[in-house]
Amino acid sequence: MNDVLRPMTAILEQVVPMLVDNSLFTFLPKTSIPVAPGQFVEISIPGVGSFPVSACDLVQDRRIVSCIRRTGRVTEALYNLEVGDAIGIRGPFGNGFPLDLFDGKDALLIAGGLGMAPLRALLRALLDDHERQGKVVLLYGSREPGSLLFYDELVELSRQGRVDVRFSVDFAETLPGSSSNVFCRIGLVNELLSDLDFTPGKTVAVVCGPPALYRCVLEELALIGMSAVNIFATLERRMRCGVGECCHCVAGGKYVCKDGPVFTLEQLRSMVGAI
Amino acid sequence: MFDSSFPSYPLKQAVLNDLLISLGQNRALWAPRTGPDGLCRLQSVSEKELPGLASSTFIPLKKMLLPPREAVWLHRAGHFHTVEEPEPFAVVGVPLCDLQAIWYLDQVFADDEIYQSRRAQLFLVGMACEPGPGCRCDEQLMPLTGDIFIGQERVWAISALGDTLLRETGFGSPATDVPLPWPEGPAEKRHDLSEEQFYSALDAPVWTEEGKRCLSCGACSVVCPTCYCFDMLDEVALDGTVTRHRVWDNCFFAEHGEVAGGYDFRPGRANRLRFRMEHKFFGFGTLRGQNSCVGCGRCSKVCPVDIDLDQIAEQLVGGAVS
Repeated sequence: MNDVLRPMTAILEQVVPMLVDNSLFTFLPKTSIPVAPGQFVEISIPGVGSFPVSACDLVQDRRIVSCIRRTGRVTEALYNLEVGDAIGIRGPFGNGFPLDLFDGKDALLIAGGLGMAPLRALLRALLDDHERQGKVVLLYGSREPGSLLFYDELVELSRQGRVDVRFSVDFAETLPGSSSNVFCRIGLVNELLSDLDFTPGKTVAVVCGPPALYRCVLEELALIGMSAVNIFATLERRMRCGVGECCHCVAGGKYVCKDGPVFTLEQLRSMVGAI
Repeated sequence: MFDSSFPSYPLKQAVLNDLLISLGQNRALWAPRTGPDGLCRLQSVSEKELPGLASSTFIPLKKMLLPPREAVWLHRAGHFHTVEEPEPFAVVGVPLCDLQAIWYLDQVFADDEIYQSRRAQLFLVGMACEPGPGCRCDEQLMPLTGDIFIGQERVWAISALGDTLLRETGFGSPATDVPLPWPEGPAEKRHDLSEEQFYSALDAPVWTEEGKRCLSCGACSVVCPTCYCFDMLDEVALDGTVTRHRVWDNCFFAEHGEVAGGYDFRPGRANRLRFRMEHKFFGFGTLRGQNSCVGCGRCSKVCPVDIDLDQIAEQLVGGAVS
């Protein structure tokens, strides 16, 4: 038992704008908070409130990096802070992605919009594991080419042949890629699956995006032949406590904050209202 | 089934009076009292004002352990500070169903330091009650908690602390085979609703009908002894001190299932009514499978449009009474 609701102080060390209203925030807490890919922390701004957010990178030298969208009252306040200001942080919470399962398997990551942020931490973990056998495929859908997060980095990973990256966008005046061998097409992200050559029985898939993405992609992966225990999705909820008490995040009888936020398709099928 | 046998002692009124007086010597005493407005509330009392029977308070005992608004930390001069330690207190005159409810909350908040620090200071005295209309208590629903239980002829030791106190006060030797005096034949039967029946009837007409009638006022959750959901709220003082409060929230409120950007995972009143029923009947997380409706009847009494979860259960099971 510990004082789970009281945060520790962290310094906002760096803010790197990525897109309009999407920036990378680096927090330096007093002592290390080991946020694994897929887990989350609660960021508190005293006097304003708190919000849950995943890390989009591995924790290095205590530094936690999150890609945060300016979308509500508390994130607005965060955007108004200066580098060097103090915030509160507590965690890590949740189960995180099943890193062990990827040993000897191909990894299929499917992101929609801001769902790229937690998957980028998973991507880092997979690429950092030099023992690991198996390829990494990333399908990433967004509204338009200009709203793709981590675009330059992903294109570079694709060019190096470390990740098979394929983008889809809802609309575009001009598609990127013809000159730089970037694969990008107009359409929904699940349509990228049809062009993909992969072995369902040898693949672990992780999907992160808005509910509409889950409804079209998860069962499609099962139809292709993947086992429902090897298809994972991470759920977004507004967790107030992070420790299975406040009930805001509950879906299908499970605390998304504590029993999740990463669930298999097999679990999700019996969780009414989860996606 | 669970072990519900507790040591019990023959009641000696004079000894009991001594015990209650000694309880009040180093603790604040609280007991249910009915005011001129007819509402029964937990109130601070002297040892002379203690009741002889339990009463069902309008707002249940949970408010003593999980106050409607409580500080969880203070932020001052760049540091996050803990809150003050609670003082010892005793609540006397609690019915058996409410002792079950506290057992349930103890499980939910097992790892919550703030709840547990209050809980450790609480001496809980149960008493026999007179079941009223709408009471559906069930001894076999879940274990109960507390320290002592005072019946008409015997006193039971529920906790080790309670047992020590009874022995030290001079109650003599205990018997171990006398069951707690649960009310015989509560006024109404409960309907056994299985998870399968519930989930196969998510689109049953009863949800649309009751969802239309439900005002989403949340009164049922407020008076429920096992409802516990909360929100966080910051208060800034003039000197810059920030106090983060844990405040009661309500799953009937429109924004309860919302996420950033406005997407709502539980839109509509029928959806939220169903969510509450799912919580009461089947539990969340590690308490999945534990029905947490202790049958106190508060929710159906307080509902302005007479919605009763047990009647919904009756419709979902097709009228089969357990």
